[in-house]
Amino acid sequence: MKTTKLTVLAIAASAALFSMSAARAQDAAPEVSPADAAWAENMAVTKCQWCHGPQGHSISPIYPALAGQKAWYIVEQLQLFKAQTRADPYARGYMWGMAAQLTDTQMNALAAYFSKQTPFGGQKVPFQNAADVSHGKSVYTEGVAANGVAPCSACHQDDASGNDQFPRLAGQHASYLQKQLRAFHSGSREQVVMNGIVATLQEPEMEAVAAYLESLH
Amino acid sequence: MEQSNRSLLNSWVQRFGALALVAFAVVCASPAQALPLFARQTGMACLTCHTVYPELTHFGRMFKLNGYQLDNGKDIQVTNDEGKQLVALPAVPNLALFVMVGDVQLAKPIPDSNVAGAHSFGNGGLELPQQLSLLYGGKIAPHFGAFAQVTYDFAADTFNIDNTDFRFANTVVLANKTPFAYGVSINNNPTIEDPWNTTPAFGFPYVPPEISVPSVAGPIINAGTAYEVAGPVGYILWNEQFYAALGFYHHAQNGSNSPGNPILGEGGPVDSSSSNVIDGWNPYWRVAYEYDFDSFTFMVGGYGADFKIFPGGGNALTGATNEYKDVAGDFQVQFIGENNSATLKGTYVRENQTLNATGPAGLGTTNATDWVSYLSTDFTYWYKRKYGLTAGYVSTHGSTDKLLYDASGPFTSPNNPALAVGVVNSANGDPTTNAWIGELMYAPWLNVKVVLQYTHYTMFNGASSNYDGVGRNASDNDTTYLLMWFAL
Repeated sequence: MKTTKLTVLAIAASAALFSMSAARAQDAAPEVSPADAAWAENMAVTKCQWCHGPQGHSISPIYPALAGQKAWYIVEQLQLFKAQTRADPYARGYMWGMAAQLTDTQMNALAAYFSKQTPFGGQKVPFQNAADVSHGKSVYTEGVAANGVAPCSACHQDDASGNDQFPRLAGQHASYLQKQLRAFHSGSREQVVMNGIVATLQEPEMEAVAAYLESLH
Repeated sequence: MEQSNRSLLNSWVQRFGALALVAFAVVCASPAQALPLFARQTGMACLTCHTVYPELTHFGRMFKLNGYQLDNGKDIQVTNDEGKQLVALPAVPNLALFVMVGDVQLAKPIPDSNVAGAHSFGNGGLELPQQLSLLYGGKIAPHFGAFAQVTYDFAADTFNIDNTDFRFANTVVLANKTPFAYGVSINNNPTIEDPWNTTPAFGFPYVPPEISVPSVAGPIINAGTAYEVAGPVGYILWNEQFYAALGFYHHAQNGSNSPGNPILGEGGPVDSSSSNVIDGWNPYWRVAYEYDFDSFTFMVGGYGADFKIFPGGGNALTGATNEYKDVAGDFQVQFIGENNSATLKGTYVRENQTLNATGPAGLGTTNATDWVSYLSTDFTYWYKRKYGLTAGYVSTHGSTDKLLYDASGPFTSPNNPALAVGVVNSANGDPTTNAWIGELMYAPWLNVKVVLQYTHYTMFNGASSNYDGVGRNASDNDTTYLLMWFAL
């Protein structure tokens, strides 16, 4: 068992390095001209808001909250949507079309806009299960030793706020996080780090960790 | 004079019957399709805008109110020397085809229109296609979009102009960072500009069976003037929550509904040869408030119209009109989850009729004033947007008007005036009609839907049994209806 755990951690570490190298070019906050910033705010309020909510605070849990998300991560995902390589079902259904015409400059501007919005914090989450939150906290901070699952906090930070290599998870809608964990698990969303990490993560643990992260609303 | 009144009466009843049939056909012809052309334009799947078509999601409502503008494809763009854009035309026209196949069975055949004692051949009919529509929709230019439909109708065996909605829309960001959208829709069907599925143009039941017995009454806003009027409707939407619209409709009758001017030939201004001609510009209004919470959207609203109509049909289009004042309330609760979606919605319309043209003269109506109400409510559930069921209830009430709903007795066959066939009249002059509607639905693909619908009438045209005075019962009009929708 110990060997398995070490293997997973090794995968995670090497994958993290890969991710870091991919992200390095975008470490610095993208330069956005005032005109592009104005365009991005207009686009965010008049279009993105239909799903992602006012200032990136999405109301329906089908859609991810974007407020406070790392700019590099938003750019990366928009590029993947445009290239049609992020292929989980909702990405195909919604974002392939939305991202098709965005230029690199526009993506940077949108990412800068959403990354600067105040993330969810302190709001009450509807329909939350306290037992799941408690279980999820242990999965997040300690991993699941029995299945060789590494603690999420090792990469996503103790407060799940993310950093220059790993996206913010705190306050994200639980059902969206579950959907992504399942997509990483099935491989419909390809991401080398997460595909490895969740390989042995079980459904109840996905639900629990998602509930915990949403509780950081 | 009596003879003349009598023939006028008959013509009024026939006109009313024809109007009811037209209205019914109009309801049939009002599906708000999940348009593959929009999917082609936006690069998005149908489920972005629809739970399952024709019901719109919040995103679909925003897309419609913003003038069908999202664009995934390449535009043909031309600019002048100053760099000003002259055209931004989608490189591929946004076209779609929409086909409905229907098979209907009435619980009991209707009487033969020529031979006394005989019945119709079979209890219903198979229509292939029940309707076939060619549609253009989407972006015309920045801020200008369209949804236009030409439909072949099996029963009429003609192509007709169907729902047509050209609109301008724009959204600005207010100082407090909230969006404010405004627009104008020029259309031919009151309530078609509305983005919820509670108002008549795109409301439940979405596609009733075309072969069925039309009930004798209904408020005029329930498709009573569809495709025979046209006008602009201006609207605003504040913060994706508060919606208000105000429009004015003018008569714009076409085809068999408007024989044109007999002196000039086919074209020309209408005269008394036409029936039910709207007088001048008539107002329509709509307000709605939507509140979104977690996976739910809640909407409450109201709408109404005030239409003044000349009966025409041989009477000059001057002087007194019949006035139809409609006020309606509606609500919708929509839940959209990962695997399950459910919608509860309803509307109640109350219409007050001031029959200055027909009432005092006894020309087709007994009373100087009448009223009609219409209630429609339904609950729909979908599992994985594939398997669905609907339970609905529709109910029409109104004042008793013997002359309007029964003329001088049971409806006589147009083919054999000596034959009292009944079926479409109300023997006691009471228009009350109540029906339960159940549907089982299967959508193997997002653009293919099969619906098995059963409609059960507990009361029809004022009675549960012998409502027409010729022995027909309400439940004889029950329908079993298999409908297949294809959108491509």
